[in-house]
Amino acid sequence: MTLKEKYPPGDFAIWIIIYVELITFGLLFLGYAFSRRADVALFNESQLMLNQTSGFINTLILVTSSYFVIKAVKAITSMSEESVAEANAKASKWLLLAIGCGVAFGFIKSAEFYHIFGEGIGLSTNKFFMFYIMLTAFHFMHVMLGTFILFVIYKKTKIAGYLFGDYRGIETGASYWHMVDLLWIVLFPLVYIIR
Amino acid sequence: MKKYLELVWIILAALTLFAFLLGYLKIISTFFVAVLLLSTFIKGQLVIDYFMGLKNISWKYRIIPTLWLGIIISLIAVAYYLPIAPSQ
Repeated sequence: MTLKEKYPPGDFAIWIIIYVELITFGLLFLGYAFSRRADVALFNESQLMLNQTSGFINTLILVTSSYFVIKAVKAITSMSEESVAEANAKASKWLLLAIGCGVAFGFIKSAEFYHIFGEGIGLSTNKFFMFYIMLTAFHFMHVMLGTFILFVIYKKTKIAGYLFGDYRGIETGASYWHMVDLLWIVLFPLVYIIR
Repeated sequence: MKKYLELVWIILAALTLFAFLLGYLKIISTFFVAVLLLSTFIKGQLVIDYFMGLKNISWKYRIIPTLWLGIIISLIAVAYYLPIAPSQ
């Protein structure tokens, strides 16, 4: 039997932020789901204007980036006192891949926004697009912040800044990034697929 | 060497492809919405347990995101399946 750790990984404050973010997005998800009931036809028709393929690619990008981030965390947390430089170098490679995923997500989402706004669609077009823009733009900001956080962690790994027993920083940033992934995992089927 | 993280990624990618195909092939139905919501719960729980690393953490902290996921997905199902009263 594995002994359970008492506290979640990373700084405890990040978990307060994560729980608050989950509640905030959760309310928006429910707002979308219950508002849809008022005009199912409008929501279904508007949804057809979304690019499901870019939503799909962005989901794959985020789950893959989460995999890269946990590999970076494992590289650091499994280091020994003798393998500090090696572990940091290994983690930096995984983090660079994750940052690339964050940037790719940003480009694809921006292209999607460019297309939608180019069609003259905005927050006041209808209730579906109000929720779509609010949810995805709010999430987009989290991805950008998460990418920046990963970049800061990456810079620290490049100077072998994570020492034996010092995992808190990378675990904190990684937890935030996985939350961003978790939110999109619910958002994608809800907004892009279910009709 | 344990390859469980790779397995988790493969399951996440496969379930994402499944969700996309339901939409792309336009075969989304009331039955498949239930399957899709279940698969979304599985994906979310995999992220919570293996990527966020809460699998071996005290249940007090693990239960919060799991409850969140379960409640949100259940209420989305309620919003989807609850009969809509005809407008007057």
